[in-house]
Amino acid sequence: MTDPLLAARGAGRRFGRRDALEPTELEVRPGDAVALVGPNGAGKSTLLALLAGALEPSTGRIERRKGLRVGWAPQRPAQYGRLSARENLELFARLEGEPDVAAAAAGLLRAFELPDEASPSANLSVGNRQRLNLAISLLGSPDVLLLDEPTAALDQEQRRRLWERVGALRQAGGAIVFATQNLEELERVADRVVALRDGRLVFDGTVGEYDRAQALSA
Amino acid sequence: MTRIALLLRKDLLVLRRSPLLLGILLAYPLAIAILVGLVASYGSSKARVALVDEDNLPPTVVLGGKRFDIERTIRQVSDNVKLVRLSPDDAARQLRTGRVVAVVTVPPGFVATLRGMVKSPQLELELSRGTISSRVEQQVQALVFSLNSQLQRAYIQSNLRYVTLILEGGDGSFLGRPIDVLGIERAEALLREQPQTARTRQLLEFLGDARLALANTDDALRSTAHPIELVRAPLRGRTWVLSAEVQAYALALTITFLALLLAAGSLAAERDENVVGRLARGLVGLGELVWAKVALAATVALGVGLAIAVAFGVIIEVGAITGGEPWRRLPLLAAGLVLAGGAVGALGALVGALAREARSASVVALLVVMPIVFLGLIPAEIVPVAGWVSNALPFVHSVRFFSSALFDLSPWREVVRQGLWLAALGAIFGVLARLGARRLLV
Repeated sequence: MTDPLLAARGAGRRFGRRDALEPTELEVRPGDAVALVGPNGAGKSTLLALLAGALEPSTGRIERRKGLRVGWAPQRPAQYGRLSARENLELFARLEGEPDVAAAAAGLLRAFELPDEASPSANLSVGNRQRLNLAISLLGSPDVLLLDEPTAALDQEQRRRLWERVGALRQAGGAIVFATQNLEELERVADRVVALRDGRLVFDGTVGEYDRAQALSA
Repeated sequence: MTRIALLLRKDLLVLRRSPLLLGILLAYPLAIAILVGLVASYGSSKARVALVDEDNLPPTVVLGGKRFDIERTIRQVSDNVKLVRLSPDDAARQLRTGRVVAVVTVPPGFVATLRGMVKSPQLELELSRGTISSRVEQQVQALVFSLNSQLQRAYIQSNLRYVTLILEGGDGSFLGRPIDVLGIERAEALLREQPQTARTRQLLEFLGDARLALANTDDALRSTAHPIELVRAPLRGRTWVLSAEVQAYALALTITFLALLLAAGSLAAERDENVVGRLARGLVGLGELVWAKVALAATVALGVGLAIAVAFGVIIEVGAITGGEPWRRLPLLAAGLVLAGGAVGALGALVGALAREARSASVVALLVVMPIVFLGLIPAEIVPVAGWVSNALPFVHSVRFFSSALFDLSPWREVVRQGLWLAALGAIFGVLARLGARRLLV
């Protein structure tokens, strides 16, 4: 078995007195497509933020393979509303250390069919803001993508393109962990399901095992 | 380009795209500076002082042959304080309620004692508690000093008449009684008519010495009355509104408002935009994020501060105002603007980190900036506690730095001192802001 790209080792997070995520074990290996499922407030977004390094764990630790590059798209778009889509992409491309900033921004604008206008990104539609959010997460050629309900505001064609891109990443030895409420996506994209409830990991297995477990509990 | 520089460039771009915000940020402190100026000028307006005349002062008094215009003297006092004539009871009540800050009482027999020219008559001064009373006391002391100066001339004149009487002899009066004085010269003449013995020659010698000594009494008395005489030169220098102090305060006030609000608002806005997590996962550390806001505050402070200094200087040059504008000192001022902007920016970043939301941060920054500025305006000699607290905040050090950098002949010592204060305060607030910035991730 190959070494994990990314792992949570007893990683948990507390906000004040509330445990958003109890100590959790999770390993992400090359080629993995892990779907995080669970009701609202289960701890999916917190686990993704911990894996991304956007939050520090209150307990435990996050381990990353040396030199691993991680892309993260939080559920609520994380970009500067006063900057245009291109300016956002160029800023984050510079921060990610992209060698050709202009080319990287132009490529993602095209790929996600984002308007190349000077108007601020705050004026974009909800769908376009989400596309920009995803585009930023792809800067810096990440090996692992952490996507929080990425397709919630995307149309059919954009979803298809996103999953194509994810497929290429997995074939190249990368991995994806995504939170979703969409069972069809789970069946089509994921090869592993991690279920969370009330901040606790309650299931970690294949999609088939998850389906059986669901059927039994029903 | 460093990550801090990238964020700074982004913030300046965002600021350029918010002309309304920038306009408000500039106009607001300038409006406050004008209001503070008005309050300051109101603060230096005439204090209300009661005059209780229990002696029914006449319009004029003749002393030693010299006429004193009492009404004119009262009008002179009114240049400094608003003098209102009140009855003793009314004056006491108004002093208790604070309607007047002091009561000057002319007791019964004042003019008679004055006319007697033997004993000093007394004016009574009662003061209210509080800082303004010390100013009134100084003004009343100045009045008494001025009156004494005028009376001394009459007293000297009167004393000299007695000296002349002793020298030359003749009729005079003392304490209202007529007197006939022999006088030294007449005594000498009488003695010369006597048979000349050793004793008469000794007496004549003494009378000669006494005559010479008394002949010099005039200058001696005048110099005793005025060991040091203050001669007031014609008015020179700038008007208050263009003074060095006002320029230093206007710069410090504007920069404190701008830097605090900008740093607080822009740091909290990073969380509002939901980008803190994205940045903090290895792209930009929280420390770098804080220092980017400090750099933003320092950059804007430099630009706006220099613009204000240039505008101020142009007004002074065009108006050919006394003293001119020290253009050569602008580089030194620029260093102060960067330090002041940075120190206030670090405090602003702390406010932004604690408030976490841009709107809350802006409100808190506004609430914080007012006491910071007003504490710096209170003279430390009058309220020492305000001075101590103010020393722990950047505003007062900014004022001192700007004032010294622009107008002191040898500014280096003070500029280095205040520069170190600003750098130290900036570092302390910056570190606290970095610790507080963890809250932005929640």
